[in-house]
Amino acid sequence: MSLFIIKTINTTFSNIKSNRQLFLLSVVTNFIAFFVLGLFSLLFVNLNVFFSSWDNHVQLIVYLEDNISNTDKKKLKLLFDANDEIESVDFVSRDQAWARFQNEFEMKSNFITSLKYNPLPASYVIKFKNDKNRLENIKKFSLKIKDLEGIESFEYGEKWISRFEQFMILLRGFILAFGVLLFSGMTLIISNTIKFSIHTRKDEIDLMSLLGATHASIKAPLILEGVMQGILGAFFSLVGIKLFYTYITFKFQGSLDSIFRGVDFQFLTDPLIFSILSTGIIIGILGSFLSVNQFLDSRNLE
Amino acid sequence: MIKAFNLYKSYGGVSSVLSDISFEVQDGEFVFLTGPSGAGKTTLFKILFGWEKFDKGQILVAGINVGKLNQKNLFLLRRKIGIVFQDYKLLAKKSVFENVAFAQQIIGADTKTARSKTWNALKSVGLVKKKDSYPSQLSGGEQQRVSIARAMVNNPDLILADEPTGNLDSEISKEILGLFEKMNQQGKTIILATHSSEILREKKYRRLSLNQGKLLQLN
Repeated sequence: MSLFIIKTINTTFSNIKSNRQLFLLSVVTNFIAFFVLGLFSLLFVNLNVFFSSWDNHVQLIVYLEDNISNTDKKKLKLLFDANDEIESVDFVSRDQAWARFQNEFEMKSNFITSLKYNPLPASYVIKFKNDKNRLENIKKFSLKIKDLEGIESFEYGEKWISRFEQFMILLRGFILAFGVLLFSGMTLIISNTIKFSIHTRKDEIDLMSLLGATHASIKAPLILEGVMQGILGAFFSLVGIKLFYTYITFKFQGSLDSIFRGVDFQFLTDPLIFSILSTGIIIGILGSFLSVNQFLDSRNLE
Repeated sequence: MIKAFNLYKSYGGVSSVLSDISFEVQDGEFVFLTGPSGAGKTTLFKILFGWEKFDKGQILVAGINVGKLNQKNLFLLRRKIGIVFQDYKLLAKKSVFENVAFAQQIIGADTKTARSKTWNALKSVGLVKKKDSYPSQLSGGEQQRVSIARAMVNNPDLILADEPTGNLDSEISKEILGLFEKMNQQGKTIILATHSSEILREKKYRRLSLNQGKLLQLN
């Protein structure tokens, strides 16, 4: 078995040596394809992290009518207490809201801060417990209280959240579609490279078969060659993305901090790195299998 | 060694190449397969080593039922046969020694065994001095001798030689034929396809004569 492995590796390397230009071309093509795919994945990962960090700051603000009765207030308080998903509830009176507003906007707009009356309603600021369904819990709870007496309105940034969610779904779909396209393209490229590799050694492969070589010993070096093309392309693309990531974090650290508001600019996650490498291997196996089987079929050997 | 019963082969079910071929070759026998070009000699050889399928009939080679052999197990049949081609089929980028040792590598022999068996095979065809030469540096006769060394290095029971002297002059052809006779004396079964009247006149081995896909005579 170990002799078979050693022979397979030796044959593979001698094949690569005799077709090194074509092998290199295939690795470079795979590298470019994986690099582009990796960049989109990097964008996706960071937008996701960014979104999650926003998600953590999402809170439900329930604005109260000015004439809300104490009974309605008590009813609301009871509802808040009964909900296990709620972490804390802060009451902000009209005066507190007005004071905060004036404090925040005094430098920006004299007109608003110089108003003689307080236009702001009192509100409850409700923080929900850290849970993967936090947004869903907020949505559910807001639907539950929306028709209650004494509530003027509520908000938790649902419009931008849903837009962002839609954008992320779209981006994920795009990356998937793009990935499928690249997958097919790269499989074809590897398949053609191996086909050429087989063609240049057609006589040798025929002779191997005539001399009693097993199918496995004919196929294994060619499949390993395909795997090498796929995995090297994927590996170098990851190196390229890491360099790109390092350059971006080094060059634009300040700007990134302000964009990401304290959230670190992330590299690809381990599962994504693993996926890219394993896709390289799968593409290599698939591409070489296609051409090896096609060749053996044509030689009446399969 | 070989038993063929009512063998039929056609291409696309139309053009008949072999028709109702039955014959037997004993262990250790030397047999000429003769017939004009297009008679079906090469096709019969290809069937014998499992390169071509046949339509009907049965064929046993060294105890293996070729028709029933799984495609993936064809190597079992081919390891019992040494094949010599008219065009030698040597690998241009390999030296004489490497070309012969290639057959040993294929069957998974270790380096030491492969080296010693290759050396012996080259010695028996008289090519030790040319072991480092490349096929392009050899004459036709020498190339055929390399091809014979490669066919015998794995010590097969049966040697199939398809027009091995077809590209060689009569002097060299005799030398090559001598090598096959030597192998036959060592107990190998030889089937040699030829249409050389000179060889057939000089050597009185049994003949299987094919003409238009039919076996004409057994003598």
